Amino acid sequence: MSVHPGFMKPSRVAAAACVIAGMLAARDADAGIKLITLPPRERVEIQLDHPNVTLVEEERVVPLNAGVNEVVFAWANTQIDKESIQFRPLSDPENVRVLSVSYPPNENALTWQVASPKAGSARVRISYLIGQLDKSFAYEATAANDEKSLTLRQYVLLHNRANETFGDAGMWPGFGERFERPIGINETKQLLSAKFENVPVRKVYTADLSEFGYLDEGKKQLRVPMHYLLKNDSANALGKFPFMYGKARVYQDDGRGTTAFLGEDWLKFTPRDDEVRLYLGVAKDVVVKRTIARRDQNRVLGNLYHYDVVVKYEIENFKDAPVVLDIAESMQSLRREILGRDTGRNVEFELVKDTPMAEMLDKEKSTADRLLFHVPLPARGGDQKAVKATQELHVLIKNEW
Amino acid sequence: MMRKCLAWMLVPVAARADAQQNVDLSTVPPRDTVQLTIYNSEDLTLVRETRTVTFKPGVNPLQFSWANTLIDPSSVQLRFKTQADNLELLDTTFPHDKPQMLTWSVRSALDGDATVEITYFTSGLSWAADYACVSNLEETKTSFDGFVRIINHSGEDYENAQVRLVVGTINLVETIAQLAREGIISEHDADEYRAGRRRVAELGEKAKKPASNKAMQALGYAEAEAPGEPKKIIKEGLSEYFIYTVEGTETIRNTWSKRLRLFAGADAPFRIQYRYRPEEYGDQLVRLFILRNDEASNLGTTPLPDGFVRLLKDNGRDGLSVLTHQSIKYVPIGQEIELNLGPDPEVIHEQLPLRSYRDNLWFSRAGVDVRFSPGQGHKIEVKDQVCGWDEHQVWTDRIRNYRGQPIDVEFRRAFNGDVIFHSTLSPTPHDFRTVQFAATVAPGEKKDLTYRVLTKQGTNQEEQRVTLRDGE
Repeated sequence: MSVHPGFMKPSRVAAAACVIAGMLAARDADAGIKLITLPPRERVEIQLDHPNVTLVEEERVVPLNAGVNEVVFAWANTQIDKESIQFRPLSDPENVRVLSVSYPPNENALTWQVASPKAGSARVRISYLIGQLDKSFAYEATAANDEKSLTLRQYVLLHNRANETFGDAGMWPGFGERFERPIGINETKQLLSAKFENVPVRKVYTADLSEFGYLDEGKKQLRVPMHYLLKNDSANALGKFPFMYGKARVYQDDGRGTTAFLGEDWLKFTPRDDEVRLYLGVAKDVVVKRTIARRDQNRVLGNLYHYDVVVKYEIENFKDAPVVLDIAESMQSLRREILGRDTGRNVEFELVKDTPMAEMLDKEKSTADRLLFHVPLPARGGDQKAVKATQELHVLIKNEW
Repeated sequence: MMRKCLAWMLVPVAARADAQQNVDLSTVPPRDTVQLTIYNSEDLTLVRETRTVTFKPGVNPLQFSWANTLIDPSSVQLRFKTQADNLELLDTTFPHDKPQMLTWSVRSALDGDATVEITYFTSGLSWAADYACVSNLEETKTSFDGFVRIINHSGEDYENAQVRLVVGTINLVETIAQLAREGIISEHDADEYRAGRRRVAELGEKAKKPASNKAMQALGYAEAEAPGEPKKIIKEGLSEYFIYTVEGTETIRNTWSKRLRLFAGADAPFRIQYRYRPEEYGDQLVRLFILRNDEASNLGTTPLPDGFVRLLKDNGRDGLSVLTHQSIKYVPIGQEIELNLGPDPEVIHEQLPLRSYRDNLWFSRAGVDVRFSPGQGHKIEVKDQVCGWDEHQVWTDRIRNYRGQPIDVEFRRAFNGDVIFHSTLSPTPHDFRTVQFAATVAPGEKKDLTYRVLTKQGTNQEEQRVTLRDGE
């Protein structure tokens, strides 16, 4: 408890939000000399579950006289949203009531007029939105040496640029466990919020001209990126909650008791049952050359044509292990390639029955615009030569003019 | 800070007789009561104050000045609340050299006190509503507390004022702030102006009449509110307007603002709906809490003026979570209140194109092209060009519900052109080009809402509308 002459303002240096409970009745508010108390925070909760705003809830024990009291809440150098500040009595909420709130000019402060039926301490909860106190997510994925599984750690990073210290604050990011940690001014606190072990991982190689382009256009060699794919469901040791956007660093057990850094990627928002895709870089040992092997233009009538198209993929796997290559074709891009222009219409097409790739079609993930095939590739042979596999996608693009 | 300077003087008769006299003796009668009627649709407040003035028989000059305030000079009026038969207002003078002052000449047959009422418009006082809601953990009911915040930037302290707040839109042909800056206008313009303002003044007059006895007592400085009780705000309808009268009196100092509780709503039931309406909510499926401003919802005591809503939720961990902060427009009694929580990470929506094809092709026959080769002879080709066709596209709106409760989803999809919407979703037309359909998705369910859109293109197009057809 302190004795202060006049109306106390928070220190501009300490920048602390504080509550001042007037020991005088409200009607003495204009008195020049006051006895005021500075009730400390008893509990602080930082609610981080909203994607854009942070809610701070703090509890303080405020001494109240019988009658009408003034409780002043003041802050400096912090971005508290003045309009969002709420005062809730936890002790005797039926009888301890807020009568009105006054906002003085040019001050980061407000005064609650609080009526209490009797003198004594009252526990109150003050909540407000605060800026510059926010969170982000980061991930660490450590793959096993055989790249069949990995351990995924999710971290919450609390960034405190709010110019305010919170001692032993409870924090909840919206899922997982609640933390209780102090956080100082300009500190960033990294907290492990979830750890998933033995998560099955699929390493995929993707050939998709429209999305990833050529590695060597003259040779029609596609850029083949590598990704780790993790399905966010319970069958794959995940699926507890959607993953929020954040940076993911990927490591691999190097078999010598340490790990090697494979790279990093932004992990996009991933709902449950969707796949996390972590980009690892461009594959050099899986070579895919894509050519248009057939373009037959069959007139139906007048200026109306069907196009009989075969896209040929010549694939070589120089790795020691068999891999699965994902081949994707954008039908809009393919038509543009065939016609040399955009028509603005949807693409009407059908897979010709003789195309062997039809059996490899992923019907769940394919749409009217994009076809996706999973093509297994054998490991290179004992003579160190890759087995050259050829796949042909035979489609009929119909009713174009 | 602007110095408050709303003054009122009784100037001795002798002083007024000689305009060149530099020494005056004045008395300054204080305000007895003051009433503020604040409009939120315009920067306008009707101030009504009473003062007790001592008159002498003969002509009494009264001076009224308002330096550094935002009063519209043309709106200042004087009335005699007592001794009206013995007092007569002879004229009003706006001195050319003192822009924020006027003098009244009052002929008195009285030698004693009378109560006078002065009314005027001022700008700089305003009010705004806001609402605080806390939903229960189960998301079935919410508290709904309304507040009004009165903001005073008028340049004048108003102490112990009775406060009335008007909800509704009025018409002004000139702003009060502008008139306060420009000072008095020509007499002709002033007459026109006053005539135009009569409606507003009458409204203020009417606003006074339905006030309760308690509120009227407040004008006489009765403390209507019991100490320790939040002040009641009396809510009354008047014509197209709604008037809130704050119980008792309030002191609102210049540049301060004050927030009072308008009403406390508890356990207002609401329903949750997911909506896809790109024109209203953007290209996303959003989650809405929908409640109604009526008695069944423990609300409905007043229309809800435009204001900001802060919706929080009991998070089940002895704390609150923020759900949304948003503005709402005026909500009449009985109308629904929509609170938009934005996209829900636990309800996933994808729109997937499944198939595209064309049929019903028509050709325009533009003649015959005849070609000749000396070696091969003639080649005749009919020049047919596609001119009309039906474009089919099969879509699915796929919803995945990871919440623990079933959810209601509603879609509105707008199409341009001559469209036939084929589905088994029991769609209804929202307007001539927009289709609406709905579904319930169980917890953990993945539901595909599939439909085929047939668009008649080129010469096939006959209409600009959507027709609904049952079937795939």
